[in-house]
Amino acid sequence: MTINIETVSTDRVVKQGFLSRYGTTLAMPLGILMLLVVGAFLSDRFLTIGNLTNVLINMSIVGIIVVGMTFVFVSRGMADLSVPATVAVGGILVLMLDDVIGTWPAALVGVLIAAIAGVVNGLLIGYAGLNPVITTLASGTIVLGIAQAFVGGVIVYGQDPGAKEFLTGRLFGVVPVIVLIFLIVALLGHLALSRSVFGRWTYAVGSNPHATEASAVPVRLVKAGAFVMTATLAGFSGVLLGISLQAARPAIGAGYEFDAITAVVVGGVSLLGGSGSIPRAIGGLLFVQLLTNILVLQGVPSEPQGMVKGALIAGAVALDVYLRRRGGRE
Amino acid sequence: MNAVRRAFDSDVFLGIVRYRVAIILVATVVISASLVPGILEFRALSLSLDRIGTTALVAVGLTLVLITGKLDLSGGAILALSGIAAIGLQEQFGQVPAALIGLAVGVAAGVVNGILVVVLQINSLVATLASMLFFRALCHFLTDSRPFSGLDPLFGLAVSRPIGGTFTLRTILFVALLVLVHLWLTRAVAGRNLFAVGSNAASAEASGIRSNGYVFGTFVFAGFTAGAAGVIQSLSVNTGSPVFGESTSLLAIAAVVIGGTRLEGGRGSALGTLGGLLVLAILTTAMEFSNIPAYTQSIVTGVILLLLILLDRFVSGKKGRDLSLTALLRSVRANRRHPENERTLAP
Repeated sequence: MTINIETVSTDRVVKQGFLSRYGTTLAMPLGILMLLVVGAFLSDRFLTIGNLTNVLINMSIVGIIVVGMTFVFVSRGMADLSVPATVAVGGILVLMLDDVIGTWPAALVGVLIAAIAGVVNGLLIGYAGLNPVITTLASGTIVLGIAQAFVGGVIVYGQDPGAKEFLTGRLFGVVPVIVLIFLIVALLGHLALSRSVFGRWTYAVGSNPHATEASAVPVRLVKAGAFVMTATLAGFSGVLLGISLQAARPAIGAGYEFDAITAVVVGGVSLLGGSGSIPRAIGGLLFVQLLTNILVLQGVPSEPQGMVKGALIAGAVALDVYLRRRGGRE
Repeated sequence: MNAVRRAFDSDVFLGIVRYRVAIILVATVVISASLVPGILEFRALSLSLDRIGTTALVAVGLTLVLITGKLDLSGGAILALSGIAAIGLQEQFGQVPAALIGLAVGVAAGVVNGILVVVLQINSLVATLASMLFFRALCHFLTDSRPFSGLDPLFGLAVSRPIGGTFTLRTILFVALLVLVHLWLTRAVAGRNLFAVGSNAASAEASGIRSNGYVFGTFVFAGFTAGAAGVIQSLSVNTGSPVFGESTSLLAIAAVVIGGTRLEGGRGSALGTLGGLLVLAILTTAMEFSNIPAYTQSIVTGVILLLLILLDRFVSGKKGRDLSLTALLRSVRANRRHPENERTLAP
């Protein structure tokens, strides 16, 4: 028996304009390039190696969380609002335990406890099917409360300046160690999302949960996995933050959840799930960080910068919705 | 196992779940009253109601937003912004006009949210996150990140003093608003339509309900109540501050959800929100009276919230039963007469 497959003529496929075809892919690199040009015009300190390295160092801590948050977005898990709590758990534990069991074992404990919080989130959201927003809100409140009760609501100070020097130092005198760690995490996350089976499942779950379930993909596991990953990575970046500051208070992670969401959204990853990638999210983060850096060099104080961030998020998502409609994908 | 399942499936159990807010409220009151002497004194009650008042006003608007299936994170930031307007414009316009402008600022902020969600079609979580960042930053920009005080502290006293020795203005305001909203939701056609929009916006649209209009309206109303909360809060302490209300939105969401309103939309009740608020108010006051630290309080609040949404999730599949109080009483009475008929009575 022969099966005759006719070649589908290209006319039957809706032809898209250049803008809607490449707009979403090219917008971010172009935007970053534009910021570099504008920044260089506005300040002669902007386009120096020292300044750009600083931008990279600043984005590393939140960048690690962005990698996890991208998985949550792609699997249509809305967002993880318990990030401040897991960051605080990592930071507080590593500094509390570093003189008892040494810094690196303490770091491991911090990451593991944060991961347990993530498992709880995953069970509740993936398996029990609760709404992610309210669940992570509640679990974040509980975890942060426990962390505070653990230290009595005070600041913890570290005892290991050696670890701090290692982390804030530079490899071969050029590459900051913390940036290197971030790049490794981002690369691993990218490979996991784009090349592994789990990554493909993540896209499938985000695009159509029912069809995916019918194809015998463990939908619940994939949904839970995204939250476990976010909590683990947030705990890890809390550990890094704690070590590099050598001081941690319970509010150390406040705002990181919104920063991570901002980066992912500006990178054009849709809340509806099923699309997006780690490089796009990191591109969004880089865009926000460069913009912030330009504003700082122009002497704009840090709080009013939120006006730009807010407008940026709204603009990015509105543009995304517009382009999707034009592309006829809605 | 079967017996357990039947117990979970019985009308009595579902009735308990349905009226859980009332049961939790009674339990909270009884436990607090037995552990903490003096909490049921009128003064203590009035005080704890006044303390939750600001959050409560935000929660009123939020109840409607949640019923339509949307989310509003920006209430706290709108609160701060209207407060700053009400205090900062006193010199130019006088005290009462400034307070009114503060209210208008809240409404305008709600309109912005409405435009983002309805016109630009942005997901409400992201849209109000953006507007929250924007409004909060605007507060910092306008005030240079410093709190400042108003002209006349006596003007604010009228707001914060209990009226006729009973309750403060904001307590009366939020209770009255919640009752009005409850009547609107249950008696008015428009109120019933709101539930339809929240359950399924597309089919609501198909049956002639303008879904977008309703969603827009709820955001404007939420902006208005957040604005009112901000004006009253700022007047009562005679201060405008960019950091007011930083945790208000999340606490208000917790109160609304404890009250039985679902984040997925289509289900909710204003009286439930009132119950949720009372639970939080009494719980906070009781724990503070017995010197329990703030972080333990947040653990307790979080656990209650989590248990409630879990409970809600596991019984949400059993819809379509008449669970009004009268029907429940009838079935309980019938069961007492013919216990073996329990299964046949459940439709």
